[in-house]
Amino acid sequence: MSNNNKSKSVTLENITKIFRDPQSGQDVAAVGGVSFKLEPGELVTLLGPSGCGKTTVLRMLSGFEQPTSGRIMIGENDVTNTPPNKRDTAMVFQSYGLFPHMNVFENVAYGLKLRKVPNKEIAEKVQKFLEMVGLGQMAKRPPSRLSGGQQQRVALARSLIVEPSVLLLDEPLSNLDALLREQMRVEIRRLQKSLGITAMYVTHDRVEAMSLSDRIIVMKGGKIIQMGTPSDIYRDPVNKFVAGFVGKVAFFPCEVKGISENECHVEIKGQRFETSKWNKNLNAGDHAVIMARPESLSLGEPGAGVEDGTVTANIYLGNSVETWVKTDLGNVLVQIDNPDVKKIWNEGENVSLSFDPLLTKVLEDKE
Amino acid sequence: MKKQALHFILMMLFVVLVGYWIFTSVRDEFLKQSRASQRETVETVTAGYPSEPENISAWLTRLAEEKNTYKVAFVKNIPMPGENLNETPEGDQNLSDLCMKFSTDPEFSKGFDHAAYEEIYRSVKNWTIGTEEEQALFFAPAVNLKTHDIDGALIFSFNTEGERGFMNMLKMLFGAAFILFAVVIWQVMMSRDPIVGFALAGLFLMTITFVAYPLFEALRLSFIENGKFSLGIWKNILNSEGYISALIGSLKLGCWTATFSTIVGFLFAFVVARTNAPFKKLISTMGVLPVISPPFSLTLSIILLFGNNGLITRWLRVIGLNFSIYGLPGLVLVQTMGMFPIAFLTLGGVLQAIDSTYEEASLNLSAGRFKTFKSITLPLTVPGLLSAWLLVFTTSLADFANPLLLAGDLRVLSLESYIEVTGMNRLGHGAALSILLLLPTLTAFLVQRFWVARKSYVTVTGKPSGRITELTTPGVRKFLVGIILIIIFFLILLYGTIFAGCFVKNWGIDYTFSLENITEAITRSRDALFDTVTLAAIATPMAGIIAMIAALLIVRKKFHGKRLLEILLMTPFALPGTLVGISYILAFNHAPIILVGTAAIIIINYVIRELPVGIEGGIASLRQIDPSIEEAATDLGADQATVFRTVVLPLVRPAFLSSLSYTFVRSMTAVSAVIFLISARWYHLTVLIYNFSENLRFGLASVLSTLLIIIVFGAFGLMRLLVRENSNLMKNVT
Repeated sequence: MSNNNKSKSVTLENITKIFRDPQSGQDVAAVGGVSFKLEPGELVTLLGPSGCGKTTVLRMLSGFEQPTSGRIMIGENDVTNTPPNKRDTAMVFQSYGLFPHMNVFENVAYGLKLRKVPNKEIAEKVQKFLEMVGLGQMAKRPPSRLSGGQQQRVALARSLIVEPSVLLLDEPLSNLDALLREQMRVEIRRLQKSLGITAMYVTHDRVEAMSLSDRIIVMKGGKIIQMGTPSDIYRDPVNKFVAGFVGKVAFFPCEVKGISENECHVEIKGQRFETSKWNKNLNAGDHAVIMARPESLSLGEPGAGVEDGTVTANIYLGNSVETWVKTDLGNVLVQIDNPDVKKIWNEGENVSLSFDPLLTKVLEDKE
Repeated sequence: MKKQALHFILMMLFVVLVGYWIFTSVRDEFLKQSRASQRETVETVTAGYPSEPENISAWLTRLAEEKNTYKVAFVKNIPMPGENLNETPEGDQNLSDLCMKFSTDPEFSKGFDHAAYEEIYRSVKNWTIGTEEEQALFFAPAVNLKTHDIDGALIFSFNTEGERGFMNMLKMLFGAAFILFAVVIWQVMMSRDPIVGFALAGLFLMTITFVAYPLFEALRLSFIENGKFSLGIWKNILNSEGYISALIGSLKLGCWTATFSTIVGFLFAFVVARTNAPFKKLISTMGVLPVISPPFSLTLSIILLFGNNGLITRWLRVIGLNFSIYGLPGLVLVQTMGMFPIAFLTLGGVLQAIDSTYEEASLNLSAGRFKTFKSITLPLTVPGLLSAWLLVFTTSLADFANPLLLAGDLRVLSLESYIEVTGMNRLGHGAALSILLLLPTLTAFLVQRFWVARKSYVTVTGKPSGRITELTTPGVRKFLVGIILIIIFFLILLYGTIFAGCFVKNWGIDYTFSLENITEAITRSRDALFDTVTLAAIATPMAGIIAMIAALLIVRKKFHGKRLLEILLMTPFALPGTLVGISYILAFNHAPIILVGTAAIIIINYVIRELPVGIEGGIASLRQIDPSIEEAATDLGADQATVFRTVVLPLVRPAFLSSLSYTFVRSMTAVSAVIFLISARWYHLTVLIYNFSENLRFGLASVLSTLLIIIVFGAFGLMRLLVRENSNLMKNVT
């Protein structure tokens, strides 16, 4: 099952979707000129705050919405005008959309019945897929007698059994509790990898996006802000919005002193730093910010770092301690790994913040 | 692509066939009328033929000078067939030349032959006269009124340019319509959702043909007298004391019935929803029962008990009490008995939804029980009371069956319009009267829909506490339950009387036990029973499926004109049955659609009238269902029709079933519209009940009423059974 030669690439070319607001009667662009390509067998996540157009993109891929302009290709086929029932995509819905009047078996068999597969074959295949998602014993149950996680698995099996070229997942884990969510994340990734299926995943949960995806597309206001691997997005965000959206971050105002071929020189309060990552729009003399993640920050005696502050809380997590520091720049989170062998500053103590320049990036000082 | 092209061709073929059918019937209708008016002209002119031979020339000259639409020539002495004219005809020169030239033509021979027998003949073909082509020829006898001899033949020619112009316009119109249809069908077929497109087109076509068009015809014909636009009918109605008193009668009846029904309904609802009284189950069952009892049944038993020869009337006469049940009081009584369930159901919902926490808070603030009722419970119910009153008011106004038997001297509009149509054959007046009836009905309906419904305090959110705060003392409770039990006893008495009526030889005269009525009723009603059940059985699944499709489109699809479609679909709910019946006979007894006398018109009437309730149910049911369930099916490869069949229909099954049983029951018990639409071939049981009652054959009427009651209750029972079986499945997955 591993190298699925059915899996296909997905291409979106300059897709725009304009909705008419029923109240004001005005046109609103939910998606404005989005282009990207999924390679066969790749899992790509659309990440963004609610209302950023990510679900609209997914619904255009599945065919439930028609793009106002642009082109959608699955493999070599232009499917822009193909209705959803004739597209080789399968969607897992946020609310699962299980048929309440059918039992688990009938739910999973529905797609095969539509394809006129012989009954004997249906029975075998459904059993195989139910076992694959760990529900071999539940075939006769109505969906209402399953837990949320089990319903999710039925929905997944129902989508995968028709062997689609593309699997679409619309915030499939948002109705589950935290523990189950983590389990299902692993499960979905395992199934997707083992079937080698191209998948598009929509979520607003950055942890979900980071842990699942081959690549992440960050969207805002109907546009793509950044596209890249999870570590690209985390370490090398294009702007303050992406940096803030995919993880905790502190921004230190700085001035660009000079840019050489592979280094950017900045100055904060008279201290100079060199970083290897910077936004290419920056020029010498610009006001900019340095972004630092909690794990690249460290604490020291007041005056020793780039910014002074007061410890307001310590949260012990076993493998690390999260220390909150109140500064003039706002509340900053510092992550101290291996806390049992390191100095922990007490609440109320004055400290200074410093960062590891190797793990930072210089960004434009705007959203 | 090939398949689509084939579908397209087939569909266009169908459009062409239907279009041709409509085209020919419109054309024939027009030609018939135009020829009838030509013939009329010929008759009028011929009648003026002078009896003195010396005046003929002058007469012909005068006619020629009058600039008429026709030309005329006079052939003296009708020739024998095959013979030439021996004299040149007088009158129009060209016409006279034609006569000379073609006098032996078979058409002329035929024309002269008819004239010789004092008949008017229209040549089947058109002629070229002089330079003018395509002229229609009429042959008429020239009768000397003094000697009663036929002096000769008058030949008329009419210019058919107007006719041909109209034909050309018609052809162009149909050509344009054809192209429009072709474009629309092609567009829809090429769209992503052809099935939805066709369903929408079908619904629009259906509602325009069977809702908008008949109403328009009714309105139009109320402004037409003798084929011309006129305000005569309306002037006549608004100036006539009789019609105005009928309007006042309807309003009076509506007000009284609505008031009494609301009081009784509130009593029932209050006791069931807000007290711990005994017999609640019985009270709520009996409070709903009359709403599904067939028409005439309660009236019938009222007549059997209180009629001029009624059981109770006779007893009261013995003690010297003389009264007549016919008229306003009797009607208010029987309507209240039949319509208080509407108020009960409305108010029951409202009272149940009131959170008893409010009452507890009031009691807690040391207000007394009566004070709490007066200042908390009652004010919260006011919108409900208004809404119930308006609903009963509309129903009472539209009621037709009860006044038909019980009105006596009271004149009401629904009855008046029926008498105009069937008794006086004045369709225009009937239409105008039922439109007049629509005004208060529509006003009440709109007030209820858009004003009262908005003022409602009760919100669905929040969980009702389920507890009941007792606001009545045991004494008050006993008193209220006592009144209710008396009403229930009266209802049971009414139903019992109908049942008893089946087994009595001749009610009012001879009370001996007999089964004769049953055998006679069954023999005489067999055909009508068969018709009634057949028509209802055909209409039921149609209405159910169309209702669910319409509900699905309205809830789930975005399209232009949705609001318009909703209005068109829902309108029949607010229309009095008499208006629907009259507008149907007005619209469908002439081209292009002639349906009067067929089973189709009755079935269509059932479907159109019962759709709104089914659609409301379907909409409510679909709103509960997560749209992603249907999307999941689509996504897995099901087309719209498959989604409807395998997912939507099973999920809305309770709404679907109740729509089915509602349509069936309403069709079985229809009167007001159907009484206009029945024919000798297709009869209805309720009309038969009416006929029996009119002829004082109360025994037969009782048997048929009992039969209908059994069928109706059976249908409802079956539906409840089916829904309950399904209900545990319907707990939705979230």
